[in-house]
Amino acid sequence: MIRFWNKRLKTGILTEAPEIDAELATLRKSLKDEVKKKFAGSLAIRMVDSGSCNACEAECNALGNPYYDLERLGIYFVASPRHADVMLLSGLMTFNMTPHVLDAYAQIPEPKWVITLGDCPVMQAPFEKTFAVNAPATEHLPVAHHIPGCPPAPDAIIRGLLAFLKKI
Amino acid sequence: MRLIARYAVELKTEYEVVTVWDEKTDRACVPKSDPHIETLSRTHPSAIWFERKMHDDFGIIIDDAFDNRPLVHQERFPRGVYPMQKQFTQTALEAAEYLPYKYEAIGGDGVFEVAVGPIHAGIIEPGHFQFSQAGEDMLHQEVRHFYKYRAVEKMLEGKTLADAKAVIERISGNESVAYQTAWRDIVLQATKTELPEANRKYHALLLELERIIHHLTDLGFIPNDAGFGAALAFCSKLSEEARRQMQHLTGHRFGFGAIGFEETKIDTMQMKHYLDDLEKEMMFFEEWITDIPSLWDRFDTTGILKHHKALKYDTVGVVARASGVALDRRESDFYRAHGFVLHTEKSGDVAARFKQRLAEVKNCITMMRALLTEKTEAVTLHTVQDGEYVAYTESSLGELFMSIVLKDGLIERFFVRDPSFMNWQALHLMMPGNIIADFPLINKSCDLSYAGNDL
Repeated sequence: MIRFWNKRLKTGILTEAPEIDAELATLRKSLKDEVKKKFAGSLAIRMVDSGSCNACEAECNALGNPYYDLERLGIYFVASPRHADVMLLSGLMTFNMTPHVLDAYAQIPEPKWVITLGDCPVMQAPFEKTFAVNAPATEHLPVAHHIPGCPPAPDAIIRGLLAFLKKI
Repeated sequence: MRLIARYAVELKTEYEVVTVWDEKTDRACVPKSDPHIETLSRTHPSAIWFERKMHDDFGIIIDDAFDNRPLVHQERFPRGVYPMQKQFTQTALEAAEYLPYKYEAIGGDGVFEVAVGPIHAGIIEPGHFQFSQAGEDMLHQEVRHFYKYRAVEKMLEGKTLADAKAVIERISGNESVAYQTAWRDIVLQATKTELPEANRKYHALLLELERIIHHLTDLGFIPNDAGFGAALAFCSKLSEEARRQMQHLTGHRFGFGAIGFEETKIDTMQMKHYLDDLEKEMMFFEEWITDIPSLWDRFDTTGILKHHKALKYDTVGVVARASGVALDRRESDFYRAHGFVLHTEKSGDVAARFKQRLAEVKNCITMMRALLTEKTEAVTLHTVQDGEYVAYTESSLGELFMSIVLKDGLIERFFVRDPSFMNWQALHLMMPGNIIADFPLINKSCDLSYAGNDL
């Protein structure tokens, strides 16, 4: 273990994206007030995949790596919709997933918001409408914000979340 | 013989049922008016999902099958609708009355069932797992999927090979380069075009980079599921760096659109430096992680897939190799000339799958050095010839099989068998003798794709 801590100290802090931090500094005041007022200091996200290729999920997982470290912004992915403020929805809303997505949404306590992630839920990805695809998600859920990309890179997701916080 | 795939192709008055083995391909025709086939599942259990899918897709009746439940069609799917039939052209479905699915369950005093999914408690794809439990001990587990079923096979019918590319590379994001490589091989066959050596090397380099990204992610998540989060912090840093290399080379973090026939210039110096750094990091990681006894206490003898079961269930990829099955589509002169060495483990447990991934990352680094090339040439494709074409690729998960039938230059039938389709069917074999808290660890050690499986 001592080797690990040596390495850890030598590596230092990798968390980056200074331009986001600069943006954050200007946003901080209003952001803090908004998050405090609406989300009691932290924003809890329930990620739901409704039929994606898994790239959007991989990028959300990447948000936890040392380069992005999303939790420093007070934004958390939670395990249950009942703990969530926001549903982050990726994928094509497949016929087989639609009832489960609606169930998960129903389980989120009010007030709640839906953010669509990536090009699939808005039918901008190369996938075409088939009998098994119920996207666009806006036909089934009240979508508050959209984060575009195929998939959106982690920094684009962070920006998208900040834009959402500014908007509401 | 190893079963690779079993699927149907619609002809004028018949269905052709194609069964692909490692040594031969069987074809049988059944009339559309009364389509019946014999099950293969008594000798090859992995045929079950292929046959259940064939029934849901085309309405083909499987005689003598012990499992007739729907596979792709879930509780609310309209009955009697077989969407892969050419005559089916609807673009929306009306949800039918809820018809419960009968899960496999073990009865007995005190035995109870635990249902998990389809939405899981993390950032992960949807799928359902049903456990039969005696206290903490898992007696049986059933894997139920196809929540992500997007009907990709149907979606691609009537498209040209070029138009199909954007969808094919997005079937499974983690295996995008592998899917693109299979597509490339089919394009080359259909146009009778030779690929220059430099292009072949560059594409193989990207495929190995994709494998590195995938393995590094798992090398972090597997210890994390055993409660050792420091490894996740370490490896997620490495996988992020590998993904940035993919971005640098191809302009996309997942390599979407990377495999093509254009001229490309490659920044070999940067890649060399990167590989040197990664090699050092991996040396440190291996030494560090091997020296943590509490971790290996969780890994060793957990989730064992025995060698004979791995063979019986026709498993592929990392899962098969960790159980001592010497199976890898990279076993070829081209790959061996660039440093490929087939590695297998014996014990078939979580530890074996972890060590298998470690060994493969190290071999990937060696191969990528040999595969580095300055630039690729532009390739002019000849005209597309109709016919039936198949391709195999070793994705980061295992052997990928793709088959495309072309008619008048358009896709008449698209079929792909993701490596996960085989391995999901073998997952339940790893459960008995383990407690339910080990399930996430076992599942992660296999790290199978849901999107590639469900299509």
